[in-house]
Amino acid sequence: MTPRVRIGASAPKAAARVMPVREGRVPFGFTEAAAASGFTGASGSACDVLGGATRVLLVGLGAVPDEEGFRSAGALAAARLCKVPRIALDATALLAEEAAAFALGAALRGWQPDGYASRPDPEAGRLATIDLLSTAPGIEAAWHVTSAALAGASLARDLVTEPSATLTPDGFIARLVPLARAGVQISVLRRKELEREGLGCLLAVGRGSVHRPRLVVLRLPGAIEAPPVAFIGKGITFDTGGICIKPADKMWEMRADMAGAAACAGAMLSLALRGSPSPAVAVLALAENAIGADSYRPGDVLRSHSGKTVEVVDTDAEGRLVLADAMSYAIQKLRPAALIDLATLTGSIITALGHEMAGMFTNDPALAAHTAAAGRQVGEPVWRMPISEAHRSDLDSDIADLRHCTSGKFQPDACHAAAFLREFTHDCPWVHLDIAGMDSRETADDRHAAGATGFGVRLLDRLVAQHFEDPHRA
Amino acid sequence: MLEISFAKQALPKTGALVLLVDDQLAADQLEATDEATGGAITRAFAAAEFKGKPGSTCVILAPGAGLSRVVAVGIGKTEALTAKLAEEAGGHALPLLSRDTHASLAAGGLSEELAAHVGLGALLRSYRFDRYRTTEKAEDKPKLASLAVLVAHPSAAKEAWTPLKAIGDGVVLTRDLVSEPANILSPAVMAERCQALEALGLKVEVLGPKELTKLGFGALLGVSQGSANEPRVVAMHWYGASGEPTKAKKGAKATARPAPLAFIGKGVTFDTGGISIKPAAGMEDMKWDMGGAGTVVGLMAALAGRQAKVDVVGVVGLVENMPSGTAQRPGDVVTSYSGQTIEVLNTDAEGRLVLADVLAWTAKEYQPRFMIDLATLTGAMIVSLGHEYAGFFSNDDTLAQQLFAAGETTGELLWRMPLADSYDKQLKSEIADMKNITGRPGSAITAAQFIKRFVGETPWAHLDVAGVVWSSKDAATIPKGATAYGVRLLDRLVAEHFEGVSPTP
Repeated sequence: MTPRVRIGASAPKAAARVMPVREGRVPFGFTEAAAASGFTGASGSACDVLGGATRVLLVGLGAVPDEEGFRSAGALAAARLCKVPRIALDATALLAEEAAAFALGAALRGWQPDGYASRPDPEAGRLATIDLLSTAPGIEAAWHVTSAALAGASLARDLVTEPSATLTPDGFIARLVPLARAGVQISVLRRKELEREGLGCLLAVGRGSVHRPRLVVLRLPGAIEAPPVAFIGKGITFDTGGICIKPADKMWEMRADMAGAAACAGAMLSLALRGSPSPAVAVLALAENAIGADSYRPGDVLRSHSGKTVEVVDTDAEGRLVLADAMSYAIQKLRPAALIDLATLTGSIITALGHEMAGMFTNDPALAAHTAAAGRQVGEPVWRMPISEAHRSDLDSDIADLRHCTSGKFQPDACHAAAFLREFTHDCPWVHLDIAGMDSRETADDRHAAGATGFGVRLLDRLVAQHFEDPHRA
Repeated sequence: MLEISFAKQALPKTGALVLLVDDQLAADQLEATDEATGGAITRAFAAAEFKGKPGSTCVILAPGAGLSRVVAVGIGKTEALTAKLAEEAGGHALPLLSRDTHASLAAGGLSEELAAHVGLGALLRSYRFDRYRTTEKAEDKPKLASLAVLVAHPSAAKEAWTPLKAIGDGVVLTRDLVSEPANILSPAVMAERCQALEALGLKVEVLGPKELTKLGFGALLGVSQGSANEPRVVAMHWYGASGEPTKAKKGAKATARPAPLAFIGKGVTFDTGGISIKPAAGMEDMKWDMGGAGTVVGLMAALAGRQAKVDVVGVVGLVENMPSGTAQRPGDVVTSYSGQTIEVLNTDAEGRLVLADVLAWTAKEYQPRFMIDLATLTGAMIVSLGHEYAGFFSNDDTLAQQLFAAGETTGELLWRMPLADSYDKQLKSEIADMKNITGRPGSAITAAQFIKRFVGETPWAHLDVAGVVWSSKDAATIPKGATAYGVRLLDRLVAEHFEGVSPTP
């Protein structure tokens, strides 16, 4: 759950007041407390002043804060005050955009997973409401845009958090109601249509589970006459690995293996809520990779939607199979201007980049540069990784058009996965974001809450805002 | 080693002949050969559906006219032929010539510069490490001893060949070092091989355990303390811009010298992992854990061999990482040359300990224009990029761009990886300034962050070459085994950006 944000001129019910402080500009009345704690307004620092009529938290902005500076100061406030039910952010000295970023940071950091505890601790407070004190010109408009991104991220985080017992492929679809309300058209392909359309890879991956695979198509018509931007999401609602079963340790994390699809759904909600003029579509490949009597096997050859045949090497590399069909379907049916897929795809990308950046692969350096810039701005960084000739030739198969991965230790599997996906892009400008390390955080820190991150939602929203809303774009 | 020579273009009377055939099926000497053999060449191309595609070959045995064989190598479009593609053409031809003692290669259609590169490609592909084969039958050994490249102006080709030959010699030296088993190539023996480079005009300094202890190389010494083989640090100097320094007279001011370029190599002559011992499977590969140092040595030989007009210092840290009663333990804290303390939580993360001291010492001792280090550092880098790209990290965008471009030109590819404070934080130790390992996520990056702490303000790039110093399959100019990755890349970097630049006072 994300704290509510209310905008106003005063906040009588707030139990604490947060004041953002630029380096060296400690406000009058707090200079002694600040001096006593060594607080000067440096970014990442805070000073909790408890003795007064209301609790005041000073948070440092640094000398020249950028967008991320305001967000992280807001986040720090929410981190320190996460048990206070209602706090006020004093943004009276900030411009509208700055105030919105400040509040966004606090709201994102203030998110907490919906508890499943049968008897929640009544003593444990929880940050539920944030009053944003601002009368800056344009604050309503700025918050309209920012709150749309926040709502999209919240939806994605709630989807990622939900256990796989209820978040089955159909369970995922049932939770798309907010999108329908916001004006997103939703259509669902079930088994018969999937068979008729020939999504052989998606069907194979979902075959071992009683929860049948689905392909969800989300559409926003937009206001400009142009081909849509397409988001493709990997939505494996639980990934056991299939016949190539995963080790038991940490297998529970695989309930988040639909984080790519969740991010795409969240981004569509953001675009709808802020009324983006760009036509946009999302194709979500939803399936459970289970073990069953009818599971697909290593060595099977699948016929993908594109017509290419794929030799299965490892049933635990299922994500690239469902994405291949979703991408190929999107290109054929929706004729997008660009394709951006998000997937918790490989352990290899975690080994490569850890939990600080997502891996980005592309066939279009310009689109990749725009994507990286959007990621930097919103604080969802991505790092470009290569697809080489060897990465592709490693996938040569003796009996099919290609294999979907390789076997053996020390494989550059993230690069192999990208090389595989590129075979299904048909030269459509494409960016692939391997977000395996970024969907969730194990521990909280000043900047980030523990749990689902919603990574990718705000990046996609920003990318569309900056590069797909030009009314004259082709 | 294969003897490459250059001679005037003509149809040879005997031996093997290589034709470089473009996608129009045209080649120097092709018509003459076809005529002399009664159309054998044209017929063979048609029968084999040979189209002159780059990398494709067609062998015509005993076509007549006294020739033992004609080897056609496709080069695609002549006008698109680069130095790299020319080398690959020479490389593709080589294995098909192993039954002849002498071969000719018709390169009259190419510039003399490109013809020289064809020769280099053949030379590089001809490499074999057969020092330890005592029972191989003569008929199983490749026979080719000399290759004559036939060109319009042999003297121009020879001129172009001289520096390339030096680079080829450097590559061969590196491959020899990397191929040597660890019972032969101890730190002391590798240091001797470095000293042998004085014959090329390099000045070589060797630091042994006494000097290293006195200087305070605590991190490096910690790694080597478990081995019976003593450590060495070797600094190889090439004064191609300023000339070798003469001893300054007492009281006379030392003349200002240009800041040298510095290349630093990790030279773990064998890495067992130490007390944090590695699994047995594949441990034999750890003889090439000195691949970074091997490349620095070959690079220095190449630069000296071609009389590069630049001052360069190459520094290699040579140790063996063994488990024993005297070995360092997980949990030990060592004090590095820089004064920073390191908690050694895994003795198999030893490369960064060696580099820490060597980099800090190089920065202080030589105040170089830049430092570039090469190290077979992390398995994570192989999982990140595979075996085609080395991953690199840099604190200097200009240097990074120059390196990346040199990689594209030479085919020794590089991919830049990130540095960021968020990774650096993971090095925090409870009892020392830092620890030497982090978890697996992003561990090539955290290794680079570790090294960065010893670099100071010097422009620096770190090349993690774990995936590229050894190859399991033949490539056009690189037979399987030691690749000598980096020699050509860094030679190119120096030639392109740092040579002939007037020394800064």
